[in-house]
Amino acid sequence: MKMPIRLVVPGDQLEDKPANIEHAIIEHDRTYSTVLGNYDDEKKKLIPLEGLWYPIHGDVVIGIIEEEKLNSYSVSLNAPYKGIIVAKYMETQVQTGDVVEAFVKELDKTGTVVLMRAKKLFGGKIMNIKPSKVPRVIGKQDTMLKQLSDGTKAMIKVGRNGMVWMKGGDIALATAAIMRIQEEAHTQGLTERIKEMLETRKV
Amino acid sequence: MGSSENKPELIVNGKRLDGRAFDELRNIKIVSNVIKNADGSAYIEWGNNKILAGVYGPKEALPKHTGDPEKCVIKCRYQMAPFSSLEEHGRAGPNRRAIEISKVTKEVFENVVLLNQFPGNAIDLYIEVLQSDGGTRAAGITCAAVALATSGIPMRDIPFAVSVGKAGENLILDMNKIEDNYSQADVPICISPRTGEVLLLQMDGELTTDEFRRAVSMVQKAGETISRLQVQALKAPYERISEKYNQ
Repeated sequence: MKMPIRLVVPGDQLEDKPANIEHAIIEHDRTYSTVLGNYDDEKKKLIPLEGLWYPIHGDVVIGIIEEEKLNSYSVSLNAPYKGIIVAKYMETQVQTGDVVEAFVKELDKTGTVVLMRAKKLFGGKIMNIKPSKVPRVIGKQDTMLKQLSDGTKAMIKVGRNGMVWMKGGDIALATAAIMRIQEEAHTQGLTERIKEMLETRKV
Repeated sequence: MGSSENKPELIVNGKRLDGRAFDELRNIKIVSNVIKNADGSAYIEWGNNKILAGVYGPKEALPKHTGDPEKCVIKCRYQMAPFSSLEEHGRAGPNRRAIEISKVTKEVFENVVLLNQFPGNAIDLYIEVLQSDGGTRAAGITCAAVALATSGIPMRDIPFAVSVGKAGENLILDMNKIEDNYSQADVPICISPRTGEVLLLQMDGELTTDEFRRAVSMVQKAGETISRLQVQALKAPYERISEKYNQ
């Protein structure tokens, strides 16, 4: 009997026929993994355990304004892509060094992420996590993120690029919880364990 | 190659100096994710070789002229620590040998990593030899392959490398320092195990066509063991945490 979810490494065969799977390549009519990840044989889905952020339209990102240009701002996204916001898409006034939350409009051919609907985040603290763990920090229908904000009374925003912005409440506990989620992201029953952690070290 | 005077006997009573059989590998231990600040890292102990590999990026290629607007570039630095071997490695900066090994290592990974996904970016790959005992370029490539896979950079395969040599009439796999210095030939080979493609092939000394064929098949056979160890090293940290909770 095949295991429903298995750990695969680059070069492992996923399917013996060509299949359209993210993070996989097709060679000689077979499908192979290109990353270290969990593969679900039933759903035909490969979830990378380590990895990079691949921007798609509508992604929420957190970035830091790097430079002010004539009609645009360049944004550091802590990713292999440079971010740019055209000034007219900026909803608030910003300066160099400010933290902004924005949506991805598109990834152009030169590898620049064009952002839109950007707004400034006042104060707070920034932490970087692995982009591959972001979906786990957010959780299904934001359950994990909601649990974190409720448990620590902090305002938390998570960008798909792996930048997390936190303000108010018990930031130390929130940081510890996020680090733990990052470490144990591939295991089951994580929501319960985080709930317990937040309850025992409550503000 | 060492001098022919005072040349030691490399094969004694049908065994090699360290008691190994002709096609036997040294003990190999690989650990992944050893450097916290790196995007990917690995450590290998291959006999007496101790090598650390770290991967950073992909990030913007700087200075700009080193980048390629159509694909990602790999910048590789192989370096031996000043205290790594009996000979002197104390001079600052890369020497002729280190530049050569950095180049061949870079070319191995250019054929494995999916470079077209990150145009204009660079991947930094650092291989530091802490202790050396022959065959460090092969061990370095094996270690760097694991480090690249842990960083999540998309790759076609996890390549392995090992060297073959010739002592007297015998072909010997995975030579150590003494064998490396006094053998008649030294052939490091890097292979992509899934496709069988040869990614690195260098030859120092002479082999006949028949010997060369046998050498390649020895490497392919040894590769099964090395690949298994690489995969184990990659999966180990995740399986450890999974076992703790998913019983």
